[in-house]
Amino acid sequence: MAASKWFRAGRSFLGGLSSNSPGLLRMSREIAFCDLLSQQTRTFIQMGTNLKVADNSGAKRVKCIQALKGKKGARLGDTIVASVKEAAPGGTVKKGAVVYAVVVRAAMPRGRCDGSEVKFDDNACVLVNKQGEPIGKRVHGPVPHELRKKKHIKILSLAEHIA
Amino acid sequence: MRLEKCWFCSSTVYPGHGIQFVRNDAKIFRFCRSKCHKNFKMKRNPRKVKWTKAYRRLHGKDMTQDTTFEFERKRNRPERYDRNLAENTLKAIKKIVKVRADRESNHIKNRMKGNKSAERKRDAKELEQSIHMVKAPLTLEKDPSYTLPKIQEKVHLRSEENRMEE
Repeated sequence: MAASKWFRAGRSFLGGLSSNSPGLLRMSREIAFCDLLSQQTRTFIQMGTNLKVADNSGAKRVKCIQALKGKKGARLGDTIVASVKEAAPGGTVKKGAVVYAVVVRAAMPRGRCDGSEVKFDDNACVLVNKQGEPIGKRVHGPVPHELRKKKHIKILSLAEHIA
Repeated sequence: MRLEKCWFCSSTVYPGHGIQFVRNDAKIFRFCRSKCHKNFKMKRNPRKVKWTKAYRRLHGKDMTQDTTFEFERKRNRPERYDRNLAENTLKAIKKIVKVRADRESNHIKNRMKGNKSAERKRDAKELEQSIHMVKAPLTLEKDPSYTLPKIQEKVHLRSEENRMEE
């Protein structure tokens, strides 16, 4: 356990400094596959993180360019700047566009105010404009309540399930 | 504040404890501690893991059907606060818990009933068959009273009894 803690600290430190985070992410995945019993270290959403898009704005996959707010990276409920990597043919957003997005599902556990922790199955985001309003009309999958505190009420109202 | 049940072991998760995992199909799994969480990640079925409530209920080790369980059903409508109601509920909870505990221990006692006699039979048989482990057959022939030692010398008896039990 001590080893994994060191690893987590080391990784996030390096992630802040250099841009070889995709390599490190892949490395942590490989280590998890080798030893099934070791915990997969889930960290922040940083430059290079691929996220799924959970709305119908046209984009399918998005790569994080910058996490606004946060030296180590974005967590659940934070906004990021991302580049669209994969888009559906007839959507508003095209491939290669630089957009803002709000993280609605993160694999990294987030502490709740009652002391428990929540975590999701994957990393997903909802594309927003500069004012914070969602571009799409629907949001897929569960979203956390943490968005209410961050004033993303529009996203919550579009969501089909609030975790 | 709500007291949840751990998905794996069915124990109560108090506020401030545990991890909630939300799957993409919006199913929420709550775990009381990392032991349950790690077992879940290993994809173990709680119905096959011996120490969980799910296994015990399935295999009849613990009580399954009882009226005391009806009181704990999940209710989604919040009740308007009434001081009397709250007081009575708190008193009732204590009593119900006691009744349920008594009934469960009775269930387990009933389940374990035939044990003592079965054990005695087994021990008697062992005494008969494996006496050669304790005393050599020659001494047995010389003095047949060696099979069941009565109170002769206290030190001897204790060590012999220990060997018998083995």
